[in-house]
Amino acid sequence: MEGFIEKILEKIFTADFSAFFKYLFVNQFDFIWEALIASVLIGILCALIGSFVLLRGMVFLGQAIAHSAFAGAALAILLGVDPLLVILLFSVISSLGIGYVNEKKIMKEEIIIGVIFSWGPALAILFISLFDVYSTDVNSILFGNILIISKTTFSLLVIFSIIVFAIILGLKKEYYLLTFDEESAIISGFPVKFLNYLFLILISITISVSLRAIGAILVFAMIVTPAAAAYQWTYRFNKLLILSGIFGVFSMILGLYLSVTFDLPSGSTIVTAITTIFFVSFILSPKRRFAKITNVSTECRYCSEVIAEDGTCEEPDCPHVQHTHIHAIDDDKGKRGEVVIRKKDLEEREPSSHEH
Amino acid sequence: MNKTLICIKDLDVAYQDVVALVGINLDIYENDFIGIIGPNASGKSTLLKSILGLVEPINGSISFLSCTDPSARSINIGYVPQVRKIDRNFPALVQDVVSMGRYRQIGYLHNVKGNDENVREALIAVGMWRFRNRPIGHLSGGQQQKVYIARALSANPSILLLDEPTAALDFRIQQSIMDLIYTLHKEKQLSVMLVTHNLEFLKKYTTRVLCLDKKIIWQGFPSDPKLDIVIQQIFYQP
Repeated sequence: MEGFIEKILEKIFTADFSAFFKYLFVNQFDFIWEALIASVLIGILCALIGSFVLLRGMVFLGQAIAHSAFAGAALAILLGVDPLLVILLFSVISSLGIGYVNEKKIMKEEIIIGVIFSWGPALAILFISLFDVYSTDVNSILFGNILIISKTTFSLLVIFSIIVFAIILGLKKEYYLLTFDEESAIISGFPVKFLNYLFLILISITISVSLRAIGAILVFAMIVTPAAAAYQWTYRFNKLLILSGIFGVFSMILGLYLSVTFDLPSGSTIVTAITTIFFVSFILSPKRRFAKITNVSTECRYCSEVIAEDGTCEEPDCPHVQHTHIHAIDDDKGKRGEVVIRKKDLEEREPSSHEH
Repeated sequence: MNKTLICIKDLDVAYQDVVALVGINLDIYENDFIGIIGPNASGKSTLLKSILGLVEPINGSISFLSCTDPSARSINIGYVPQVRKIDRNFPALVQDVVSMGRYRQIGYLHNVKGNDENVREALIAVGMWRFRNRPIGHLSGGQQQKVYIARALSANPSILLLDEPTAALDFRIQQSIMDLIYTLHKEKQLSVMLVTHNLEFLKKYTTRVLCLDKKIIWQGFPSDPKLDIVIQQIFYQP
């Protein structure tokens, strides 16, 4: 225990907090600028794709693709080739395979996902066991190291990012409709099958380009978590995309900074940053506060469905519509489920006089 | 004589080896308000889905505007599905959902403008304009159905297909939804095909009734006394 605390303190006290900025602006090292640019691109990419993955309920499927990508990475190291294209091949094959099984309803989707989910790491371990010498690349594949991206990988990252941005932004409303109501998308004449398969390829590309930076174990966290954090803040889809992009880029850059400063695996620092953002978002979420204030699920039979944010009722059949009222959720405002008319909103009148 | 909107000839539909519809022949005209009734698994939803192109028939044809040219498909069809559960936190406001009805007309690489007139008019027509900035998941079932009707209306359809739009709603809300649909039918000269289990609604609102049990058992006017006899036969007798 003491040794652990000593290590932490040593890291903190020996860290050079300005090293990152020196590398950027003084030394102007290429590798640090490439890492920064890669961080921004991956942050935006993961946010865009992750928003749709989250809303479409494809989290488990995405994780299976990430595990398959891990196998591809291990094979690439074994063969001594640049990993990105092999990772991409494995990701695309597994994602399209799952998509095909799902489309033809050959078996339940969760079965094939579960099979790929577990087979991916098993294959990866098999390939790793065949290494003549244990490669340090294995650590970077597992845990991520955004600082050692090769020139080839960087170039491919830029190209693939542009392609994915163009497709997602160009087909944003089609994917939005597909996410909300697939049947309606078919009726509207959109090529739903093609769009579904294309989306699987886009997830594969995103995972493949992000894996080097974040690592196979954690890559999918980066795809889901920025969108999950943004989801806590808004009911508007465009705002969800923008906010998850901001969260994604911020956590990538912060993670990069912490990785350089404290000599830690970039995957862990990036995912720790975004997960912290998620928990803060969850705690502060206005959605939760709004639900607490209005509590739409109360038992008021007149107007439980229709409560404005300021507590006014908009249901024309509500007998209390002429008064501003709230639904009680706390004891100090009344019993749960009651309609509470605020005294200050009642019309002033002469007090009635009567005898008891 | 009203213009033909949809012409269905000898339509057979099956799901793998299960027959859903057999030998359906049906013409749907402008200003029709057709009510479709039948027991469960009688093919009512399948008929609507065939018209919408959601299922492929194994025989027969469905043509639009012309009974002689099966390739003509140039009418806007609005569709209102059954009440379905929506995630309360799904990021979609009422106006976003209604805008989705315009996507096909807008085309690729364009977005529906925030002040789109069709969206505004559709929301006003169903009485949901003041809820336009409300998250769709926060609405009641009846309000959501009105939003789906507005979504269908935003595309300026010639015909509205509704698949049990009032199922799982209380009677007061069912009545308001049906009154709305009838008002739209009258004011906008909108043809309607309505799948329902409610005989009272059929008699009150429709101009034609179709009794379906994989094939058309009977079709006629809602005031025809034979309707009750047919209902008795298809629902209560083995």
